[in-house]
Order: sequence, then structure tokens, then C-alpha cells
Amino acid sequence: MSKPVTIIMIEDDEGHARLIERNIRRSGVNNEIIPFTNGTDAVNYLFGKDSTGLDHKGEALLILLDLNLPDMTGIDILKRVKENEFLKCAPVVVLTTTDDAQEIKRCYELGCNVYITKPVNYESFANAIRQLGLFFSVIQVPQAST
Amino acid sequence: MTADAARRRALWQILLLLAGLLVLAAISAASVILVNQARDDSRWVVHTVEVQNQISNLLLEIRRTESATRAYLLSSGPQFLSEYETSAAAILPAVDRLVALANDNPAQVANTVKLRAAVEQRLAEFARGIDRIKNNDIQSSIDILRRGGANQAVQDIANITRAMRAEEGRLFVERTRTADQSQQWASWVTVAGSGLVVLLAALSIFLVRRSSNARDEAEARLRDSNIDLEAAVEERTADLREANDELQRFSYIVSHDLRSPLVNIMGFTSELEELRGDIFRRIATLANADPVVPDVNGELPEPALPEQDKQLSADFTEALGFIKSSIGKMDRLISAILNLTREGRREFKPVKIDTRELIEGIASTVAHQAAETETQIRIEPLPDIESDRLAMEQIFGNLIDNALKYLKPGVPGDILVKGRTKMGFAIFEIIDNGRGIDPRDHQRIFDLFRRAGTQDKPGQGIGLAHVRALVRRMGGTMSVSSELGNGSNFTVTLPARWTGHNRDKQT
Repeated sequence: MSKPVTIIMIEDDEGHARLIERNIRRSGVNNEIIPFTNGTDAVNYLFGKDSTGLDHKGEALLILLDLNLPDMTGIDILKRVKENEFLKCAPVVVLTTTDDAQEIKRCYELGCNVYITKPVNYESFANAIRQLGLFFSVIQVPQAST
Repeated sequence: MTADAARRRALWQILLLLAGLLVLAAISAASVILVNQARDDSRWVVHTVEVQNQISNLLLEIRRTESATRAYLLSSGPQFLSEYETSAAAILPAVDRLVALANDNPAQVANTVKLRAAVEQRLAEFARGIDRIKNNDIQSSIDILRRGGANQAVQDIANITRAMRAEEGRLFVERTRTADQSQQWASWVTVAGSGLVVLLAALSIFLVRRSSNARDEAEARLRDSNIDLEAAVEERTADLREANDELQRFSYIVSHDLRSPLVNIMGFTSELEELRGDIFRRIATLANADPVVPDVNGELPEPALPEQDKQLSADFTEALGFIKSSIGKMDRLISAILNLTREGRREFKPVKIDTRELIEGIASTVAHQAAETETQIRIEPLPDIESDRLAMEQIFGNLIDNALKYLKPGVPGDILVKGRTKMGFAIFEIIDNGRGIDPRDHQRIFDLFRRAGTQDKPGQGIGLAHVRALVRRMGGTMSVSSELGNGSNFTVTLPARWTGHNRDKQT
């Protein structure tokens, strides 16, 4: 691992973002977390000015993705990420409120690596995020293909 | 066209028909009367002619007698005497006949009386003349002839018969005119009657034509309105379906988006709870004069709080508890709505269902609860049905669950499931001896999030709303009859063979 993993958090609800970040930190993960509160900014960052994703060549990314975004659906972002030659290896964790079976199936079909439903119960929520953090601390993330 | 107008028109036609009949009858009667009158009139004309004829006959006989008398006077031939006798004998009967014929007219009667007298006088003169010839007194007879070319009797006869002829002539003219008039009347009546009948016929034809036109028009309008109605129903159905879909999407989105802030509220409330622990621990540490020393296990004991701070801490905990329990409740409601809308979007597949087996399956899953409450579940023979299996399970599962849940305290439960078929529908009844439902709440219990009676059992008020939605989707209806304290009877009516179309989705 030449470069530490960067966590891209795409989450429109700042409260959620804060809770997620707090719990990830509590689990002892200190990687850089770059938050985005809307789809457009996230897409601009991920794919760069030329929309190719060339900017992140050689970087190790991990994407935390919410599906209900104000300007686009997370599924569109997921699809684009998995279709992009530089980003397709980046693990995508879908973290959303939807527990609709259709939606879950669709996300996995598009190549999402983990799908987590945010529980309203905070203990479960915190627990889930902390375990996710533990998972992050052991997961091997490939560098974007060169 | 209103029904009133139609009735009036029918009445008009009947009246017209009646009028036509009356006119025909009147014409017939008038014709009979007029023909009779004409015949009478003709008879009278003939009668007049007969009277005139008789007068001529009489005059002829008198002339024959006269000429026979004169011939006898000239030749004294016995054949003239016998001629005289036969013609003289014919005169009086001729007068009698004339009298008989003319006795209808008082004037003529008077004339005939005078005529008879004159004729008798003349006959006497003839007889006297014949006698004179027989006595060879021819000369005096010739003298008489020469003298009295015009004796009184001859004059009288001539005058009277002229008067009678004149009278009969007048009568003839009069009677002919009457007869003509009668005939004219008859023809007038016939023509007028025929005209009237033709008019009435034309009028009825016109009316019939008009009413048949009106009927055709009404039929056309009916057809049009039927088509319109169908189109309207289709349009309305499409609108309803769209509205329903819209509502489904709406409730899905709402319940979904409501969850997001709930996660925050719950999350930060929990964070606050953590903070509360930290804060009060610090307060306790600061308030305590004695330093906190680790116990035997090396852990720090929970420092004791001063009395007023304990109260504060309790208030804090209470407030957080209310917030958390409310959030929990809201989360359950949102989940319920989500489940309902998901049910609404699920595709139903009609399959053959052994209803008895299905309900026995439900009964076995609740057997434990039933045993706890000493409840027996009785299942009578049930009609099989073609419908969605999961929906059927949910419907009967909910109803039996409810029956078990709301028993009358202290009374062993008795739940009866029975069914029958009627006109292509299967009717199921779930009857219990539980606490019952106040009739005022019968509508309410089917509403979402509404419950009735004593609120001593957990629940969201969703079951029956869900059951009714399912029953409706499968083209059925459901109702309840119950009284407080006397058990409930839920009736579910479903199409025996549901083909997947319900009242909302015709396509």
C-alpha cells in the first residue's frame, strides 16, 4: 500500500455525515474522509474536469454512497463509477435509508460491494458504522488501474 | 323527450283512433237513415205518379163509356151496349182505387169525394141515355147531346181531375225535390265522412311517424350516451389508477424521506445521552470534596451526585426517554406505511387455494397463543377459491390474530371460521366471542392508524386497513357486525375465481 486509502463520503444529510464520520473515527480509522453533500460535486471530483476519472489514476479510493441525493440518484453515480476504467475497482459501500429489496438487488447488480441500510435505532446505526470502520481498517483496496 | 310527453302522445293516438271509429259509425248510421229516407221519398214520387195514372185511367174509362153510349145511340148495336156495360162497371172501382190511393192527402180526399159525386151523376146520365135508346127515344137523346155539349157533371169531372192533377203535379215536384235533397245529403255525408276519415288517418300516420322518429332519435341518443358513458368510465378509471399510483409513489417517498431526519434525531439524541453521562459525571466529581479513588478492581466508582443535581439528571433522562420512545413510534409508523405501499405495488397472482388447508396452517401458527388463552379455533367446510395466496394468508392471518388478541377477559375464546358460495362469490365469516366492537367504531377500525376500544394491546392500527385494502384489490368487499361485549363477526366476500382484474384495474 503505497498510498493511504481516501474515503469519499457522498451524503446529502449533514447530520448523517457527522454521525457516520464520528463513528468511523471511534472505530479507530484515521484515513482522510472527503465529504460531499450533493451528487454533482461528487461526480465532478470523482471524474475530474474531463469526465474520465484520470485524476485519480493510481489512488486508492473507497466510496460511501447515499442513494437519495437532492440532484441525482446514488444509483447513477454507482453506475458511472463501475463503468469507469479508473474507478471501477474502488469499493463502493451503499449506505442509505432504503431497505427496498428491488433497490438492493439493483445496486448489487450494478457492482456495489456492500449495501447497508441505516437503522433508525442509533445503537444499531453506531454499531453498523463502527463495524464498517473495522472493516475499512482491514480491507485491501487496489489502486486505480494504471 | 319526457315520459309525460310520450304518454300524452299515446293518449292522442288513442283519441284519434276513437274519433275515426266514431266518424265511421256516424257516417254509416247517417247513410242508412238517408238511404231509407231517399227510398221513402222515391216511393212517394212513385205514389204521385200512380195517382196521376189512376186519374187518367178513370178519365179513360169515363171516355170509353161515353163513346160506347154515343156509339150505341147512333147504331143501337148490341156490341156497343155490352162495351158500355163493361166500361161503366169499371168506372166505380177505378174511383175506389183512386180514393184508396189519394187518402193520404186531405185536399185530394175532398176532391175525390166531389169527383165520386160527379162521376156518379155522369154514370146516371149515361144510364138514362141508354134507357132512352132502349125506349127508342133517340131524338131526345140527340137533343140532349146537342144542347148540353157541356153539362154540369162533365164540367165538374174535368175541373176536379184538373185540380187533382195539378195537386199531384205540385206534390210530384215537391217530392222529387225532397228525394233529390235526401240523395244530395247522403252523398254530402259520405264525402264529408270519407274526407274526415282520410284526415284522421293522415293525422295518425303523421303522429306515428313522429313518434317513431322520436324513438329512433332516442335510441340514437341512448347509443351515443352509452358510448360516452363507457368513455367516461374508462377515463375515470385511468384517472383513478393514475391517482392511486401517484399516491403510492407519494407515500413511498414521504415515508422514505421522513426516515432520514429521524436517523439524525435518534443519532444525536443518543449522542446527547452520552454527553449527559459525561456532564453529570463531571459535576459529581467537582461537587465531591473527597477525591475519587479506584476500588479494588482498579475501576473508578460512579461518583454520587448531590440531591438537586440528581433531580436534574432524572429530568434529563426522562426527556431523552420521551424523545426516543416517540422516535421509535414514528419509525414503526413509517415502516408500516412503507410496508403497505409495498403491498400495494406487489403483483398478485391468482392460484387455486385449498382454503381449509390455508386456514388450518394459520391456526397452527397461532396454536401457542390459542392454548395460552384456552381458545378453540373451529373451521367449518370452506369453499375453495382462486386468488392470491399471500394476500389470502394475510387477510385470514390478521383476522384470526385480531380475534385471539381481543378476547373477553376470563372467558375461554371460541373462534369459528365458516364459508359458503353465492353467485360466483365466496363468502367467509370469522366469528368470535371476544370483547366486540362498538357499532360507532365499525367504520373507524378499517382506517389506517385508528384503533377502537380499550388500548391495552400493542398495535399500530394497521391490520384491518391492510386487510380491507387487500380484499378490495382482489375485487371483494368486507364488513363487520359486532356489539360491545358480544363478540364480532367479520365477513369477507371474494370472487370465487379471481382472474387478476379488480375494479380499479380493468385492463
